[in-house]
Amino acid sequence: MAGSLERQNKDLSSLNQDYAVKYGFHDPVDYFHKGAKGINHEVVEMISRMKKEPKWMTEKRHEALDIFYSKPTPTWGDTKILSEIDFDNIYYFMKPIEQQQSSWDDVPEYIKKTFDRLGIPEAEKSFLGGVSAQYESEVVYHSMREDLKKLGIIFLDMDSGLREHEELVHQYFGTVIPSTDNKYAALNTAVWSGGSFIYVPPGIEVKVPLQAYFRINAENMGQFERTLIIADKESRVHYIEGCTAPVYSTDSLHSAVVEVRAEESSYIRYTTIQNWSRNIYNLVTKRASVYKNATVEWVDGNLGSRLTMKYPCIQLLGEGARGEILSVAFAGVDQHQDAGAKVIHAAPRTSSRITSKSVSKDNGRASYRGLVKIHKNAEGSKVSVECDALLIGSDARSDTYPTMEIDSEKVRVEHEARVSKVAEEQLFYLTSRGLSEDEARLLIVNGFMEPFTKELPLEYAVELNRLIELEMEGSIG
Amino acid sequence: MLQNSEYTIPDISPELMRGPQWLRDLRNKAREDFNQAPLPRRGLHLWRYTDPGKFMYELNDASDTTYGDNYDVVEKIERHHVDEGSLAGLVTDLGGREIKRYGTEALAEKGVIIMPLSEAIEKQHDLVEKYLYQAISSQTGKFEAMNGALWNDGIFVYVPNGQVIEQPLHLLREAGMENSATFPRLLVVVGKNAGLTLVDEYGGGSMDEDKGISFVNGAVEIFGLAESKVRYVSLQRQTSATNSYLTHRAQIEQGASMLTIPLVFGGSLCKQNFGVRLNGAGAHSDIYGLLFGSMRQHFDNHTLHHHAHGSTSSNIDFKVVLKDRAQSAYTGLIRIENGARNCEAYQENRNLLLNPGTKAQTIPELEILNEDVSCSHGATLGSIDQESLFYLQARGIAKNEAVRMIVSGFVTTTLNRVPADLRERIGTFVAQRLEGI
Repeated sequence: MAGSLERQNKDLSSLNQDYAVKYGFHDPVDYFHKGAKGINHEVVEMISRMKKEPKWMTEKRHEALDIFYSKPTPTWGDTKILSEIDFDNIYYFMKPIEQQQSSWDDVPEYIKKTFDRLGIPEAEKSFLGGVSAQYESEVVYHSMREDLKKLGIIFLDMDSGLREHEELVHQYFGTVIPSTDNKYAALNTAVWSGGSFIYVPPGIEVKVPLQAYFRINAENMGQFERTLIIADKESRVHYIEGCTAPVYSTDSLHSAVVEVRAEESSYIRYTTIQNWSRNIYNLVTKRASVYKNATVEWVDGNLGSRLTMKYPCIQLLGEGARGEILSVAFAGVDQHQDAGAKVIHAAPRTSSRITSKSVSKDNGRASYRGLVKIHKNAEGSKVSVECDALLIGSDARSDTYPTMEIDSEKVRVEHEARVSKVAEEQLFYLTSRGLSEDEARLLIVNGFMEPFTKELPLEYAVELNRLIELEMEGSIG
Repeated sequence: MLQNSEYTIPDISPELMRGPQWLRDLRNKAREDFNQAPLPRRGLHLWRYTDPGKFMYELNDASDTTYGDNYDVVEKIERHHVDEGSLAGLVTDLGGREIKRYGTEALAEKGVIIMPLSEAIEKQHDLVEKYLYQAISSQTGKFEAMNGALWNDGIFVYVPNGQVIEQPLHLLREAGMENSATFPRLLVVVGKNAGLTLVDEYGGGSMDEDKGISFVNGAVEIFGLAESKVRYVSLQRQTSATNSYLTHRAQIEQGASMLTIPLVFGGSLCKQNFGVRLNGAGAHSDIYGLLFGSMRQHFDNHTLHHHAHGSTSSNIDFKVVLKDRAQSAYTGLIRIENGARNCEAYQENRNLLLNPGTKAQTIPELEILNEDVSCSHGATLGSIDQESLFYLQARGIAKNEAVRMIVSGFVTTTLNRVPADLRERIGTFVAQRLEGI
């Protein structure tokens, strides 16, 4: 026991060298294409032309840019940080290499090394069914197991998806999240690049997870990936995304749009481990439409970024549809995690559960912002919401802003939230058994996060625990 | 009198421009702040479910306000209670035009001051100047500024240090009939180690929507000094053609306690805001609310527990029962400041929806700025348990009666938290309202 603790302690102190060493490095890159900073209709036109897109998409982009211009900055959330974003000081499109590769050997050495350091090829070999690796604006590596291809499963980067399955993309693009939804979704629609396109045919189960990894390398970069996932009737799929970026003194913007569509009796799980460096604004719109007897689960971990505003949404549109959102947020020094969840019940006998856990440390601020809406026709629906917040440090801040709007009478809605610090008696119990206060605190935080970590594939759970250790390092004294 | 969301207050009438210079200045400031403040944005939680334009009226109708028959009835009942000794006193307020006191002589002997604000400004000038507009200023909000500029007269209650008033003091504040606007104002100061129980009843209002509705914009400021005990019941019993906007703000000091009981029964559109600021160690505040909505009533209630000092505690239990097409929005904020260590705060909001067509919204918010806290909230929304209903009906109880029993059980857990002497009086009001359910 003592030996393993010593080792863990050593691990802890070596991790003290911070994010910068592990994820925060950057590559000197000679970009295939690097546009100018700033956003206007010419930039939009250029992106669309370089991608040789059909006319309808070019028009959609221009239309979305006008919507972006016309929409005011939100007056809620962290308006102070939001107003700091300088849209003219961002690169909207950077193409690292000319062509996407399907073998790591063909990817330029420096990029391969980056993903090696992040452990992607290793994970691909051991337990993934397909991998997409995005570097700046485009996917540089993409591959899927042959046996999965044979089942008719489509897993492509979004650009290839548009080229190879235009009719599907045309049919569904922007139907779950229209450009008019919010300012940042409009911006994404105008300048989107990369992201994933997944289609699972009826009755097919993708037994191994598909993964996308998003890496920002350049300074003042804007990454706008666009993801569309369609699970046809009675199919099943698990998609995982991860992300990191170098540490710079100026800020980058990540603004993704993720549209998910679960047809009758299908099942989709979408797992995110967001670990951006602390100079990234992370403003993401994620929404799922769930039809009869289908299930969608968002498993959402937020550790990095300077400001995250993200509220994964589930619209239950068919009878018996189910939704679950499990989210954790860790807000350390100068971070604001404004995360949450939304469920909209628009069909009878639908059910949903939201579990939110947040840790605020030092001067970090974690906010839960949620919506539960039950429409008139959704009789017999059930919702339960549970928010737990842990505060560590005298300047830590936690907010809870849940909104519940109920227009139907025969429903059951429950919401609970608790905010507390690490309990003295728990600390005492552990320290009296020989653990240092640091170790005890770490153990308690890990236990607090467990409902989330236990839902992750083992490799990610281990990784997450290490990330938490890193965040917790030196939390007292 | 017309609804007009662009309305600005012209020069304040000479009738209101009386009293000392500081008061006239504050009125003018309130008028300017009202005129300059934009209508609250709907996007913010506080206004998400109610159109602020509904509280904007063009006040150009000079006709004298008249009052309904019901007022006399209520007045008679409460005067009877004063006579038989179950009330410490009764104060009636007809829209700030006529303020009368009954049975307050005994209180006066103990040094308790109960008088119209206009009179208090002359006789208790320093006290009024020290507290008036301190908890609700023209910066609190647009409609608070509107009251600050236009209140005609109000009630002033002062309990000296160490004096404890056992029986409740009943205030009856009557809205005008159709096409009227009233701006009631109340200032209460409870001294160190003193105690007061207030029942603040809002009644009256237009009986006929077609002839025009009544409009009420009220402000209540309560100051509980160190170790004081204040119990405040807000009883909303206005007619179904009355729009009211009421702001209550209390500040309590070291070791003081405050119990606020909003009984939200009447009015057609009623937006209320109950806030308690805990200013000193050991201060404790409870808010126990009961809301019954029926027909097309629209309620919008906000509670605020602001922990500005460490070692303070608060508790909220707000229950909502809705039938017909009634709608209720409840938003509650608990805010614990960075410097306020070792605080405890709890909040519970339960909603019972009796039939399809009702609507309920709840937003229980927390803003916690330091780690030394223990804080939780819970909210539930749901219909009557069908099994309980079946159980009662199977025993020969008519459905209506069974529903009433279940509703009564739903609110009893809250009523049981109210101190016994006050519970009896409140129970009467609740029972009267329950008859309509």
